[in-house]
Amino acid sequence: MSSSPDKQDAPERIAARVELLRSDVRRLADCAERLRRVEAELDAGGAAPPWLRETVRAHLEACAVAAADLAEAEARLSRYAERLGA
Amino acid sequence: MSGQARERATLLRAAACEVVDIGVTIQEVSAHATAALSESVAPGAVARAPAVAYRAERALIHAVTNDQGLGHAFVGGPLGGLAAKLGVMAGGESLTVRVLATSLRLRIAAAAVEHPELGDDPMLTRLVAAAAADHDIEAVRALRALLKDRGAVRTLSTLAPIFGEVLALRALLDENPFNDEAAWLIATGRGFASADPITGMSNRAFAVLDTGEGAARRVDLATVEAVRLSQRGSLLGFLRNIGLLGTTGRVLIQSVEDDEGVVRHVVQAPGMRLGLPDDKSPQDLLGAFSSAVLDSSPYSRALVRAIEDYGVPRGEELALIGHSAGGAVVMNLVQDAGFCSRHTVTHVVAVGSPVDFKRPADPDVWVASVTNQHDIIPSLDGQGGNTCFDLHPGWYVVDYSDPTHLFPRCHSVEHYIANLADDLPEERERIDDELARYRGRVVRSQAYQLFDRAPCPEGFPFLTVPTYLAETSEGTVELPVRCQDGGTLTAYFAADPDATAALLAGTGLGPAVRVGRHALVAVHASWNRRTSLGEYHEVHLGVVVPDPWHPRPLRAWPDLPRSADRRRSGSFLAGSVVDTAAVRAVAPRLWGGEPYVMPVEFDLTGGAVRVTVGGLDDRVLTLTGSLGPWLPAGDRDLVAYARRAEATLRSCVRTRGLGRVHLAPRVRLAVGRSANPLTGRLRELGLDGARPLLCLSTITRRTLQEACVPVRTV
Repeated sequence: MSSSPDKQDAPERIAARVELLRSDVRRLADCAERLRRVEAELDAGGAAPPWLRETVRAHLEACAVAAADLAEAEARLSRYAERLGA
Repeated sequence: MSGQARERATLLRAAACEVVDIGVTIQEVSAHATAALSESVAPGAVARAPAVAYRAERALIHAVTNDQGLGHAFVGGPLGGLAAKLGVMAGGESLTVRVLATSLRLRIAAAAVEHPELGDDPMLTRLVAAAAADHDIEAVRALRALLKDRGAVRTLSTLAPIFGEVLALRALLDENPFNDEAAWLIATGRGFASADPITGMSNRAFAVLDTGEGAARRVDLATVEAVRLSQRGSLLGFLRNIGLLGTTGRVLIQSVEDDEGVVRHVVQAPGMRLGLPDDKSPQDLLGAFSSAVLDSSPYSRALVRAIEDYGVPRGEELALIGHSAGGAVVMNLVQDAGFCSRHTVTHVVAVGSPVDFKRPADPDVWVASVTNQHDIIPSLDGQGGNTCFDLHPGWYVVDYSDPTHLFPRCHSVEHYIANLADDLPEERERIDDELARYRGRVVRSQAYQLFDRAPCPEGFPFLTVPTYLAETSEGTVELPVRCQDGGTLTAYFAADPDATAALLAGTGLGPAVRVGRHALVAVHASWNRRTSLGEYHEVHLGVVVPDPWHPRPLRAWPDLPRSADRRRSGSFLAGSVVDTAAVRAVAPRLWGGEPYVMPVEFDLTGGAVRVTVGGLDDRVLTLTGSLGPWLPAGDRDLVAYARRAEATLRSCVRTRGLGRVHLAPRVRLAVGRSANPLTGRLRELGLDGARPLLCLSTITRRTLQEACVPVRTV
């Protein structure tokens, strides 16, 4: 007797999602770094608008929170994938 | 603009571009999280580990809804699409949107560096700040204040350099989910703004209203236009030709021969014509819209037909020059691989055109785009001169600003010509250098009138009849005479019965139809404005006679309104005047008479009529006065009898037009002092100073006049 394709594929598919989320945590960190660089370059060129510092700070905080949220989701999804594969 | 300012603007645009890339990355991250959530809730899997699945789902939902992190970040798939729209309507924003808004604000800051008037303008600053802060009411107030202070034209002109950015900023941050895609496309520069950024209404939905297979007909330019056409190829010459054509629905194709005898061709396409949004011409508002949004439109299809008709031999080179919508249209042609395989297009110049997302099928085609930063039209595709993206690195782009900020003036081809002639000499020379091979002597010019769909023949079906040629003393004419547009007046008078009897004696016609003790006579005047014989006037004096073979005058009254093919009564012509030699020459064929040629004036406007026959010193008659109240009378065919060489001739003028009957006209006929025999005849009939019993008028009508036919009445 064989199980349905859904049951067979689910652990692999979720595991693939886990990998993507893991890399996305790194990409968000990279985004934050790029935002810092943008601000620094504009500052250095004397072109930074007055509102930029506050805006970039808000974006950096959001990136950090989003990265933490994704890391948490990745950990829980990883556990789920393991349970399905067990 | 100083070098330092230019450097700062460049830095800001580069930063805006980088921030867009960051926003796109965050969008991809959000899409991955949304997809993971969809995956984790698959029923088969959840059933196997419900508690762990629940905890994973909760973590993912938190990740894509946390205002402090990714924000409201459902992206992709049925779940993401619906949830995203609901989230936007509830006022939720994503980190992606906030980052893209930052990019747009950087673009606005770059524009403010290049256009200091933007940054110095407190009202504009207020509007941009309100848009960026998502303060709807404040944004509307700021816009209203701007409109009140400057008026619509100056507001548009002021906003022009940042028009797309402000719209996109509002669309990204407002609670309308349907305009988000357009805003996304403007902010990321990844495609044509697919919808109106304010309402979210699909641009393509508007554009598809512009239908038609396109058609082109050769037209002659007016003499005054033809003599002003550029006789040597040059950028300014071609643009002046476009200005000369105006927005009249016409395009021009010219052939230019260089010093070595090589002939090349230049297509010159003007922009949108003002007026109805969708008229018979593809150069209307809808046409401009569809040409910009779609790859093919009635305008571009009509232009292809004009080029095919012109007959550009295979292999001979072709340059396409367009202004406004014309620029978008010529780009449509050049991005059509089929067109490029049939024609060797070498150059395209688009002036003031929204062409950012059009691409030539052949990358070797040299493309130049010339845009004034205060001209809104080029930014209708979502990207104006303030874009931070290099959308077409291979093109020669002239994006400039001049002190005249007023839109729509700065969009006119004349303004672009003036800028290229006076303010942009280097840029003009560069384009002219590229177009050097088209700089020779113009050896052929042909204008075309373009249509959404093939126009039906004028006067169809009434005037679509077989024709034949007839020789006259003034040359060959085409019969029957077709009149596309004319006006007419017939005035019925009570005339002296003895005089009419004398006129009818020996004709086999009559007795005249009676009105009490008088005879009924008609003065018929018409102005045939557009006919197969050209424009002409005619005036006839006729005695109304019954059926020649059953002459019972009382029976003539019910017969008078019948159409010509059923009418037996008619007017016996007792004198006619026309005002062209050509009509006089053909008159014996048409109605059998020999009319006098004299000046005739006819004016039928405002419920009054004025007809004069003869000049001031040779006046035959004047018929003038108010026609008074009227009733609709339908078409009024004319039937006439005439005598020539002992024969009676019957002629008909078939008519299509809305007639009026005036039962109490306040018109008077005055007979003049001319020596013309008609003057005496009018006096004999007692018409000098007479008022008509009734009048029939038609302000505009079509007529068809066959040759007369002999009938035996004696």
